[in-house]
Amino acid sequence: MSIELSNIRKAFKTNTVLADVSFSIAKGETLVLFGPSGAGKTVLLRLIAGVIEPDAGLIRVNGRDMAGVEPEDRGIGMAFQNFALFPHMDAFANIAAPLTARGQSKSVMKETVEKVARLLKIDHVLHHKPKELSNGQKQRTALARALSAAPSILLLDDPLRNVDAKLRFEMRLELPRLLKDQNATVIYVTQDYKEAMALGHRIAVMTAHGIQQVGTPEDIYLTPANTDIARLFGDPVINLLDVRPEWQGGQVVAMVSDRPVTLLDHYASQIGRDCILGLRSESLHFVAEGSPGAIPVEVETETPLNEKTVTLALTLRGREIMISRPAGTPGPASGQAHIAINAASALLFDRATGQRIAPVRPAMKEAVA
Amino acid sequence: MTTESPQLRLKNVDKYYGPIKGGVYAVQSISMDVPKGEIIALLGSSGCGKTSTLRMVAGFEAVSAGSIELAGKPVHMLAPVKRNVAMAFEGYSLYPTVSVRDNIAFALKASRLADAEVARRVGHVAEMLEITDILDRFPSSISGGQQQRASLARALVRDADLHLLDEPMGQLEPQLRTLLRGRIKHYIKERGLTAILVTHDQTEANALADRIAVMEGGILQQYASSAEIKLRPANLFTGTFVGEPPMNVFPATASASAGEVTFDLSGGLYLRYPEAAFDSAVRQMVLTRQQVVIGVRPYAVHRTAQGAAAQVVANQWLGDQSHIAASFAGKTIVLVEHDRAALSEGQSIHIQINPEDLHVFDPATGAALAHGHALAA
Repeated sequence: MSIELSNIRKAFKTNTVLADVSFSIAKGETLVLFGPSGAGKTVLLRLIAGVIEPDAGLIRVNGRDMAGVEPEDRGIGMAFQNFALFPHMDAFANIAAPLTARGQSKSVMKETVEKVARLLKIDHVLHHKPKELSNGQKQRTALARALSAAPSILLLDDPLRNVDAKLRFEMRLELPRLLKDQNATVIYVTQDYKEAMALGHRIAVMTAHGIQQVGTPEDIYLTPANTDIARLFGDPVINLLDVRPEWQGGQVVAMVSDRPVTLLDHYASQIGRDCILGLRSESLHFVAEGSPGAIPVEVETETPLNEKTVTLALTLRGREIMISRPAGTPGPASGQAHIAINAASALLFDRATGQRIAPVRPAMKEAVA
Repeated sequence: MTTESPQLRLKNVDKYYGPIKGGVYAVQSISMDVPKGEIIALLGSSGCGKTSTLRMVAGFEAVSAGSIELAGKPVHMLAPVKRNVAMAFEGYSLYPTVSVRDNIAFALKASRLADAEVARRVGHVAEMLEITDILDRFPSSISGGQQQRASLARALVRDADLHLLDEPMGQLEPQLRTLLRGRIKHYIKERGLTAILVTHDQTEANALADRIAVMEGGILQQYASSAEIKLRPANLFTGTFVGEPPMNVFPATASASAGEVTFDLSGGLYLRYPEAAFDSAVRQMVLTRQQVVIGVRPYAVHRTAQGAAAQVVANQWLGDQSHIAASFAGKTIVLVEHDRAALSEGQSIHIQINPEDLHVFDPATGAALAHGHALAA
């Protein structure tokens, strides 16, 4: 089922949590709501679920206005962060609860519960009461219950939050398949950008200022709307350096470590303006001194990070810059080094507003023979 | 090799709770040396014994057996304040009645350092941890993440024989965490401090520590550099616990014929290697045992034109890496590539695992038997 939100407003007393939120989700799509805590992600889920009503705006499911429709009549399954399991029932009975309510036969029920429990790796604790489960197991039990009901809309509020790293990784790989099999329209809330990129067909980035950008993982990572979003995606965090583009030798350049870095001609409109240059650590690489475009840096330290080696270095102006490379490939561990920047992947932002500057193809550029 | 004695030495340390019969070991017979100037991480999941170990070193818990020596002197009978240890612990809170600045400066003032020097050191550590703007605030008016950094600053600013840091960055937002890891490591190294970090987060342990002590069930599973643990995990536990994504493991039956060593996985899949890829001791070992578990790290699984067949079940691009899962030998195998992989679900691929990247484990005990061509030590 499709979901459409138009101009949603919600305030609690004087605290406006959602000012004017609009977006839509197609049938079968997984939309990730990503952002720091306090952005209003959970409030948005609760509005869609019908637990609370918006102050203004329209929520439509398959074109039907949901105003006044009770939560249980919306056909929506939920798994919230605060587990909300029935304490007197074991994990099996909790997961089976929606099926029991529907009068499913015992054998169908058993099969459904065991299948979803196996996928979520809680099949060995099905006969434990919630108080005997770890937080991660409770969370997966709640998720299993939401899935067993096979609703056409699933709202998942950070379901892997308390799950340990190894299992979280496995779940991240398996959940998309599970969701696809369910053929459900999914809204998935997370604060983990990797989870957002791995699970979302599209990602809606939400901060305290509302929805900042909605796009595919590619859109968000490669063309973030502003520096806030650029900082939220990527590990290590993107390098953001204050620059003022200028002309040098017929090219648009930005000075980094007192050396000119050639930018795309498409940024010619920014000559002389205060900008921020955004450089992902993986778009920087070490080069030999004297090679074209080499920029001198002083290496402070290097740290391994998930099959990468991240180097923290200082520019000649004392600005920190992080460079990453695949683990096991050579690079300097300390002292003077030189780096090169891949101009095509460099991002430019307006320093005053933080908004990304879209490169504009120069209208007239004389062909170089 | 230096003959200098270690800064910290734990010798057969036990922590036992409960009655003599029927109690439980939180920590069992841990022995480790921490050289001066090194950063050590105690890594494990909750209940593994890492925090009990740290608390015994700090003096908050008595050892049930064994000894702890710090800077050449036995300290396990001393009260915490007598051990010259600086600590940043969860719940080891800031003094609520004084400003963040005075909290950080407290130990320095007590050591009668000149005011100007105290101010310089406090300023330096505060800048490093990005708390300069809250130095004049009181602990109750700052966020959890800021309190944690203030507490960390208070410990790091001291000159102590040992610095103990318990989950020092747990409250921080991820963007700040990556940056601070690099800075904290640089700060500790520059000042030649010796530090023990307790964490459940292997990313933090890998990034900061010279050596990682992997703990599970109260027992020290392996104590080595992060690179060593990845290259030569002591057992299946450390092999699959350290490394993200985790190591792929498959039960296999080993056999030899016609100059080749073959690992029969299930589902009609074989990994075949020329005999020469392994030392004769390894060949002999796997052929005697036959039943083994083989492991390979995700970055060492390569796509090739030929090789064992697998079918893509997921391809997740995370911006800087692609994580690919494929069904393989009745299980799922995970590959990491540093570029964006153009693969869709259901696509057939062929994978190759080079013999030097193969780990062999004992299916019964989990102990490592071989890494690449050589027997495990």
